[in-house]
Amino acid sequence: MKDKLFRKILPKVSKPGRYTGNELNMIKKDWDKSQVKMVFAFPDLYELGMSHIGSQILYGLINEKTSHLLERTYTPWTDMEDIMRKEGIPLYALESFRPLADFDVVGFSLQYEMSITNILNMLDLSNIPLWADQRGEEHPLVIAGGPVVFNPEPFADFFDVFIIGDGEEVLVEFLDIIYEHKSLNRKDLLKKLALIKGVYVPAFYKINYNSDGTIESRISLVEEAPEKIQKRVVSNLDEAYFPEKPILPFMEAVHDRAVLEVMRGCQRGCRFCHAGTVYRPVRERSIKTLEKQAQKQLANTGYEEMSLTSLSTLDYSGIDRLVKGLVADYSDEGISISLSSLRVDAFSIELANEVQKVRKSTLTLAPEAGSQRLRDSINKNVTEDQLFKAVEAAFKSGWNSLKLYFMFGLPGEVEEDLESILDLLKKVRYIGKQYSERPVQIRASLASFVPKGHTPFQWRPQASIAELEEKRNYLERKKIKNVRLSFHDSRTSFLEGLFSRGDRQLSQLIYRAWEKGCKFDSWSEHFRFDLWLEAISECEIDTDFYSSRIRSYDEILPWDFIDTGVSKEFLRLENERANEGAVTSDCRHDDCNGCGICQHFEIELDIREDYQYAP
Amino acid sequence: MHLRAEYYVGPDLRFLSNLDMKRMMARSLRRASIPYALSAGYNPHMKLSIGTVLPVGIWGKREYLDIELREEVEPLVFMHKLNEVLPAGVKINKCQVINSNTKALMRVINAASYAFCFNKGYDLNIIKENIENSESLVVESRGKKKGIDKDLKPGIFKIGVKINSEISSLNILVAAGEPINIRYDELIDLLKVHGVGDNDIIDMFREANYVRVENYFYTPLEKVN
Repeated sequence: MKDKLFRKILPKVSKPGRYTGNELNMIKKDWDKSQVKMVFAFPDLYELGMSHIGSQILYGLINEKTSHLLERTYTPWTDMEDIMRKEGIPLYALESFRPLADFDVVGFSLQYEMSITNILNMLDLSNIPLWADQRGEEHPLVIAGGPVVFNPEPFADFFDVFIIGDGEEVLVEFLDIIYEHKSLNRKDLLKKLALIKGVYVPAFYKINYNSDGTIESRISLVEEAPEKIQKRVVSNLDEAYFPEKPILPFMEAVHDRAVLEVMRGCQRGCRFCHAGTVYRPVRERSIKTLEKQAQKQLANTGYEEMSLTSLSTLDYSGIDRLVKGLVADYSDEGISISLSSLRVDAFSIELANEVQKVRKSTLTLAPEAGSQRLRDSINKNVTEDQLFKAVEAAFKSGWNSLKLYFMFGLPGEVEEDLESILDLLKKVRYIGKQYSERPVQIRASLASFVPKGHTPFQWRPQASIAELEEKRNYLERKKIKNVRLSFHDSRTSFLEGLFSRGDRQLSQLIYRAWEKGCKFDSWSEHFRFDLWLEAISECEIDTDFYSSRIRSYDEILPWDFIDTGVSKEFLRLENERANEGAVTSDCRHDDCNGCGICQHFEIELDIREDYQYAP
Repeated sequence: MHLRAEYYVGPDLRFLSNLDMKRMMARSLRRASIPYALSAGYNPHMKLSIGTVLPVGIWGKREYLDIELREEVEPLVFMHKLNEVLPAGVKINKCQVINSNTKALMRVINAASYAFCFNKGYDLNIIKENIENSESLVVESRGKKKGIDKDLKPGIFKIGVKINSEISSLNILVAAGEPINIRYDELIDLLKVHGVGDNDIIDMFREANYVRVENYFYTPLEKVN
């Protein structure tokens, strides 16, 4: 198999390095001596999958710390897929070159909704039945985890199991139970697995619908299936496993550098933000642990860059000390430090200067909305003054290219709010002209707002494609010199919105779209919206029901049974506060907001270092 | 100080691009804690240069790199330290100190030897004779002047035949760089013209790189000044 690939197949495809494995720090375990054999399947290209830190965590954890085995596979690009189908080569794992069907568990990472067609395609390339109820004793368990599965329902019919929450907290236990009960038949094994906290077996539930299409009730079909699925949370991140020998790809990954996860979770409480709820509460690593991880990772990889990552890295309580320490330790060796996200304030810019003493590339800030009114409404606690101070600090210290992130199509948005985006860009450009000798480049990236489950805006309608296009035209009608606007594809946002708040009725649509040839839907060159529309029409899906309707507070939402720890009552209050334009502050430096997470999980915010908060 | 090293890139790494190879070497040097020198300027980088590009799809027995160090390191120590951390399939064969004014690898390497391996079934001596006896060896150019007819004859110096019980090979010594550059895929096209079937070349690699001076072929380690 490997021989045929290397001699006959790979020389004919683009970027063959995607399919060869054998990277430094790859762990190839003895197949026969390993207990449970699992393959981690990332439903996108290798270079994207290799940039995903969650995969590296699970890979190291299972292979280094347990007697199980975890191999890897990624979506082949279309040229490779064509040859594989023609030559009858099944999708294989990069460590052993075994087909996926040989494994006990195939685990997909669902990082974004639109990767679902790639998952179906990968199962098909593995000769594994796509529908869970068509898989038998001879087939692997097909499971999924990741942020998207906090609403697993649109995908429920394709998976045997979903894992909800922090994967490293549950996967070892999950594989241990499989090993312990390996003599059981599939259904009985699934019953054992359903007893694990954070594990959801969709086949054990029946959904009854009202005549208007909303959910009437969810019935557990077996006693092992709990009514609610509570997400799993790593309570002590400082002691949690983190890979010190990450796999080092030969070809360039999208994020090709060492990574320190300084903390998990963000409690700024932006009302549109899915990650802000599902990754609560904030848990930090100590500087001591991070410095040790930095040293080990660099020694084991030789990376020339290290990124400090999290949902909001500048909110890490020891950020100043950590960054300065790392710069002092590594800059002489030509190793640079990068920050994955910046806060909109002058302190952030000063720190960014610290890490990029010489080369000033593009600086990115995210005000999210143009007017103060709308920023208050979405609880993006940034004032215009903070933004201008940040921009001023940036231009003063030599940056001359700035990227700003905005959302449009937000709840309650009116024409003045769009106008404010343009005003803000003009003011930013004006500040730039005062401090920069060269012409400044301002880029604004505009994402269409997609309401997500488990957020305060989960009841809100999503702007239609037509509305979004109209807003886009409005924003684009006047060109501003040296300011470039770019927009997310409103058609992609429409489909994302459909699935992020969808239910089990959508599985037929996904299947139909895949059958028609949809794949790599997040790649513009492969995105076939026409085929999606055909599938929607053939499956008679009323997309307005999912996207443009105001949902009532007493409706049973498809994802309500997933317990993130944040109460529905809190989300409702936040939604109402959005109407009033009332802001809710971050509970790390103000009073508890009563979101419910700490009480519910009997854990506490885990803040490790002296807190330095730039007001 | 400056070092020149000769290294081996095994079959499993044949799909690395030149940039991949350079990145892999740079990261290995960091892992080995070799005191590499950094360039000045906005974006400091290692002063590492790699000889002629090893094409994607073939592996190499004797490839070359030059590196500048900020401290003295014994060549043997350099080789051992690096070999300890290199990924499986890459190995430093030899290494020696060179003068700082030694001409760059890219500028001196002007010949290379490619090996094409076959299963039984071909009389390689006949292919060799046919090629040697041809007045001209025209194939379609694969390089920058894609599609234009190119005569390989002036760029082919020597053809060797190795016959083993299982696998036999043709080893073709050709010109590289300026004034004429013979690509391995043009050689495949040439072999096809001489009757070799599409799937019958079961392996290929670059055996060596040379500095040719008139009719003498030196290795880049022999010709350092």
